[in-house]
Amino acid sequence: MASKAQAGRAMTGKAVTRAPRDTAHEGFLNHKRGRWAKVAITLTVVALGAYLLTDPVPRHNGGTWLGYLLGSIGAGMIVWLSLLGVRKRVIGSKPFSLKGWTSAHVYLGLSLIVVGTLHTGFQLGWNVHTLAWALMMIVILSGLWGISLYATLPERLSANRGEVTQLQMLEAIRTLDRQLDTAAQPLDADDAALVRMSLEECRIAGSLGQRLSGNYTNDGNARALATITEKVMTGRRTGRVDDRLQQIEFLLERKEAALAQARRHIRMKTQLELWLYVHVPVTIALLAALLAHIISVFLYW
Amino acid sequence: MSFIVRQVAKRADGGDIIRTRTLVQAELTVGRGTDCDIQLADLAVMLRHARLVQITAGKVSVETTGGVPVEVGGKFITRADLAVAENPTIDIGPFRLSLSPGEDGAVAITAERVVPPIEAADAAHETSIFSLSGAMPTKRRMAWIGGLAVLVLLLLVPLFHFISEGEPALPKTMVAEAARPVTPGQGFGDGKLSVPTARPAAAGGFAPDESWSSGTLSDAHASLSNNCSACHQKAFVSVTDGACQACHTASALPDHASPARMAKGRLPDGGVMGAAHSAFNLPQGRCTSCHKEHEGAATVMTVAESFCTDCHGGLKSRLTDTAVANVPGWAKHPDFRATLVSSPSADKPVFTRTALAGAREKSGLIYPHDIHQSTTNAVANMAQKQRLPQGADGALPCSYCHKADEGQVRFKPIDMEANCGACHDLAFARDGGTVRTLPHGKPAQVAGIIRDFTLSESFAPRAGVQRLSFDRHLPGKAPPPLSGGNPAARAQAAVVSVFTGKGLCTECHVVTDTGAADLTRRFAIAPVSINDHYLPQGQFPHGKHKSYDGKTGQAACVACHTGVTKSKASTDVNIPGVANCRECHGAPAKTLLSTTAKAGASCDTCHGYHDGVAPAGALPAGHVQPARVAGRQAAGRSRQTPA
Repeated sequence: MASKAQAGRAMTGKAVTRAPRDTAHEGFLNHKRGRWAKVAITLTVVALGAYLLTDPVPRHNGGTWLGYLLGSIGAGMIVWLSLLGVRKRVIGSKPFSLKGWTSAHVYLGLSLIVVGTLHTGFQLGWNVHTLAWALMMIVILSGLWGISLYATLPERLSANRGEVTQLQMLEAIRTLDRQLDTAAQPLDADDAALVRMSLEECRIAGSLGQRLSGNYTNDGNARALATITEKVMTGRRTGRVDDRLQQIEFLLERKEAALAQARRHIRMKTQLELWLYVHVPVTIALLAALLAHIISVFLYW
Repeated sequence: MSFIVRQVAKRADGGDIIRTRTLVQAELTVGRGTDCDIQLADLAVMLRHARLVQITAGKVSVETTGGVPVEVGGKFITRADLAVAENPTIDIGPFRLSLSPGEDGAVAITAERVVPPIEAADAAHETSIFSLSGAMPTKRRMAWIGGLAVLVLLLLVPLFHFISEGEPALPKTMVAEAARPVTPGQGFGDGKLSVPTARPAAAGGFAPDESWSSGTLSDAHASLSNNCSACHQKAFVSVTDGACQACHTASALPDHASPARMAKGRLPDGGVMGAAHSAFNLPQGRCTSCHKEHEGAATVMTVAESFCTDCHGGLKSRLTDTAVANVPGWAKHPDFRATLVSSPSADKPVFTRTALAGAREKSGLIYPHDIHQSTTNAVANMAQKQRLPQGADGALPCSYCHKADEGQVRFKPIDMEANCGACHDLAFARDGGTVRTLPHGKPAQVAGIIRDFTLSESFAPRAGVQRLSFDRHLPGKAPPPLSGGNPAARAQAAVVSVFTGKGLCTECHVVTDTGAADLTRRFAIAPVSINDHYLPQGQFPHGKHKSYDGKTGQAACVACHTGVTKSKASTDVNIPGVANCRECHGAPAKTLLSTTAKAGASCDTCHGYHDGVAPAGALPAGHVQPARVAGRQAAGRSRQTPA
């Protein structure tokens, strides 16, 4: 029964049984029963209400009393939200737990979409002010993207990895490389060159594009395998099967499988990390743009 | 002839394993193959890569056998003779063979791997393989680049431009246009004063601080788009009135009222807003309090109605001596108080602002509109005979007398000769081929002319001289001959009849017989002042109201001035009340699903703001300049200083 269930999970790619949650692990999303979600919703509703119930002339923008208010709140929130990077480096739980801080970071960050956009009064253009808004939106949306990845990917990551560690994945490939190296010693120059292709021109991870797409057809091992397979097939047809080549083919296939697992792992880890490569640097650019925005607005009052 | 071969292999702990063999032979094979004398286990090495031959003592030749060259002294060669004494080296793949003279004339060869084997999946690379640090610049580096790029390009470069910029040069055409006085009422109708198309961009191209612009400039100011400091003159100081008035001079755009009265009448700026305004040095009543720039093409003149009603909604409670009624908004706009002639005078008429209900005007003129508007009476008959213009209904049209002035706001002053003279021609005699007429407005001259004419007729009557009747009811009929004794009495009687009889002066004027002995001073004509503009602050543009509810011409006039066709006396005031305006202004349009008003109902639809202390300005030349307007003497508000 259990094994059947195990098999069923394997089919769906869920190798890890989810622990029963009645032991009350509480993630940052439902920290304190969504206290910060409620705060964020309240803030959003109040901001929207104030925006809709006031009718400034000639139009809503950052220069009305509501605009200044929303701008001050928004700027304060941006600075505070960016301090998560500082807070997480501080060990301890005072004054707020890191989980509570993260929960507030997520929900208040989302409400900033409304606060920040209402601050603009939808008056957008090619200027430093709209740049600050656009960077803010990129940061928030990349954060949203990150959360959605964290909700789905770790399970699949775990399923792909099985019980194997990253080091073990590398070790498996390295072992196969050694076996290939040894097995190729008696080969003639052409075949040896193919094995060298697998050994020297094989990149496990590769470029960002390869990591994300999972397309490694031009990688050394794949090319070597294709050519060796072709040679073995030709040998079979002509009845002159080269045992050494067959051995090489077998090893290359095993290496390709080991690579595929590592690369699936890499692909998911890349996704888990990539949003932060947007989220964090753009946050810093946003802080710079925010500074330029505030200084320029008051300098040219 | 022998070789001493020393093969060095690395141990896992970093030490070397050296195996030494002595081969007594003149020739060595080098390659990956297991049958070679020196086996180099690397796939970059051919199965049989090269052959070393000891030619003479101290001299070895190397020759490749696998078709792949070897590297000797930095050169790739297929064959070479090497002097052992020079300690030559041969690189084959990742290995190096170092030759040196050995004992007993032997050649010592050390084979050593110099290029470490490729450890493609080294544990040390775990981080770079499994994390993005291997594929991207670090987050920290990207953050530095992005943050510094923003700071430099969008903060420091514009800031430097601002600091280094000199006195701005203002476009001459713009300055000239701004200094031209605004005609009162020029923006009426749509509630907006705007320049229809954007002015051309100023020379000089893009300025770095344009990136700080919060939005498009209005069309009127488009030429300043790369000239921020034209308006933003001091850092961290909100645009000052001085910056606006550099172009918009005070003479072109005068104050609404005296600054002291404006300050007194303004709603006090209290509470949080007031504290914020005073904390940031943003006092009320600046140009930019009302006029907001950077809001798009046509918006700089768009001013909220509330800016007017903020003050005028409760003005009387703050500016207690004002004559201006409180106006909380269009729906509660008080009815008009027409400026009526209360004391006619040839040179110093007095006007009084009076509520419309039951208002009477004392123009001094006798003029019943009704008989002049009839389609059937003698007036109509005469107008027809004189070939005067006819309205659609056959009556004399309003525009025969009321001719719009150039601005189509007011009407040209009524002129007796031009507007009345066709019928009321003041002809008193036909003298041969000449029709003798009396001068209008000069009673002493009239008396003298009639007296002298009658006397001359008494003493030396001429043929072909015929007196004409003034009685319009019987046209062409000769007047009865003057009777009486002596010529002087007849002359006096004739003068009396001109001033008091039917058909001439008394038709329109009140004539007083003073009984003076001097005949030319005996009759006084009551002064007449004809009102030119009943609602001078409203600046009602008649030209924009030529059609009303599908009616045009006379019908359109009468649609608002409803009582005029039945008005029997010039004391009637035929000015429509504010309720009449509301039929269109602010009233919903008659289309389904549309809530837009038929016509604008903002304050500036009818009222100007920068019309100056005298709201309507001086009247155009030719209009009666009022001596004073009673009930409007409040300081700074009178139309003209009291005479």
